Amino acid sequence: MRKRYGRRAVLAGIDLQLHAGVPVVVTGHNGSGKSTLLRIVAGASAPSTGTVTGRPPVVGYLPAPYPASARMPVRDHLRHLAAVHGRPAGHDAVLAALGFDGAAAGPVAQLSTGNSQKVGLAQAFGCAPELLVLDEPWISLDVVAAAALDRLVLDAASRGAAVLVADHTGRMAALPGVRAFRLVDGVLVESPPPEPERGTALIELRCRADAGAVLRGLPPVVDAWPDRDALTVRVAAGRSDAVLAAALAAGCSVLDVRRES
Amino acid sequence: MVRTVACARLLTADVLRSQRVLLPVILYAGVLAVLYGGDPGPLPAPWAASALILYPVATWLALVVANSEEPPTRLVTVAAAGGTGRVVAATLAVVLAADVLLSAAATVAPLLLTRYPAPPDGFALGFCTHLAAAATGTAIGLLVARPLITRIGWSFCIAAVAVTATAVQPWLPPVGTAVHAVTNGADPPWTQAVLAVVLAAAAAVVVWAVESRR
Repeated sequence: MRKRYGRRAVLAGIDLQLHAGVPVVVTGHNGSGKSTLLRIVAGASAPSTGTVTGRPPVVGYLPAPYPASARMPVRDHLRHLAAVHGRPAGHDAVLAALGFDGAAAGPVAQLSTGNSQKVGLAQAFGCAPELLVLDEPWISLDVVAAAALDRLVLDAASRGAAVLVADHTGRMAALPGVRAFRLVDGVLVESPPPEPERGTALIELRCRADAGAVLRGLPPVVDAWPDRDALTVRVAAGRSDAVLAAALAAGCSVLDVRRES
Repeated sequence: MVRTVACARLLTADVLRSQRVLLPVILYAGVLAVLYGGDPGPLPAPWAASALILYPVATWLALVVANSEEPPTRLVTVAAAGGTGRVVAATLAVVLAADVLLSAAATVAPLLLTRYPAPPDGFALGFCTHLAAAATGTAIGLLVARPLITRIGWSFCIAAVAVTATAVQPWLPPVGTAVHAVTNGADPPWTQAVLAVVLAAAAAVVVWAVESRR
């Protein structure tokens, strides 16, 4: 499949198969054509030559940045898009999972950047699509929402959805079972799976709740030293994001994070 | 079909909130009030004037509805609808529904505003003439809107030329012949109304063909 704008060939021969349950991440420098590729896969644009076959009827698509609807209130915007998707609306659960705290009665355009991104994710995930196409979904999400998005992506894949994500934060490539491609000169090159993070990190927390109770709610840690409202944990480096997210969600504040080789 | 209707509801909600449709509609209501508030004479002759003015008003309305969504928002709608076809069909349905409402309003307006009795041959003549003008206006409006013409200044100029050139030729279907028929009190111009709706649908097909190749 190829795409040219005028004389400029943006995609110069893409051959990509998406399989249910195997998420795919595409990286590449700015202007390499990631967004164009995603638009075509999502069905919002057509290739100049070649075809896209087997696209399922319901596609969840998040463009970047999510275009704010200047007028429509968040609630109506999501309700209408759910009806257009033709699926019962599941966007409220997604908004709750992502920690949306904007005004549902106000227009999308008046939300903060992060909340507007959450609305975009809610419309994409809320329709339980068979194909998810997400353009830079982790952009402008806070730590807790980013961890929640990790889970949403993995859940969608385990439910049997095909997932295609453009992501330069490296977060998607770090998720288990993800195939990674680089878009270079309009062609996709498969990159090897990343090395797992070695070593451990030491995280120092102060918690409003009892440190022991907080500890029980955290993902598995290597070592822990709870002491009234203070809690220090040693975690595998690859898991530090998840632990931080869970700790913040439990109402703790992070005092220090140190890497131990 | 269900998703096309959902799409039409989304477009209607969006365009009503934008309030850009208010301008042509209020303008037309004002024209009807002035036209029939004076002494226009007995029907059906005055319908020719209100139908001729409905022509550019319907063009404007179609342009507003088709351009209502900004291009980035449109991508989301098209992906959600599962293709351009549903979105274009929904746009056409919304505009034609507005055409029918405006045509019906213009047809019965003289009964409410003037002292003249209802025409002996009924309202079909008036309604068909108005619908012929409105649906032809829709065809032009869709062709001068995105994605075919992206600059609103060009949209306005081309639409103005197209409307003025085709409105005043009494031999030219569907608007010229329909207005000619109502001026002479002929039979209702059913064929002109149907032809105009076919033209609007053809314009939508052109829009779909261009947009689905983008």
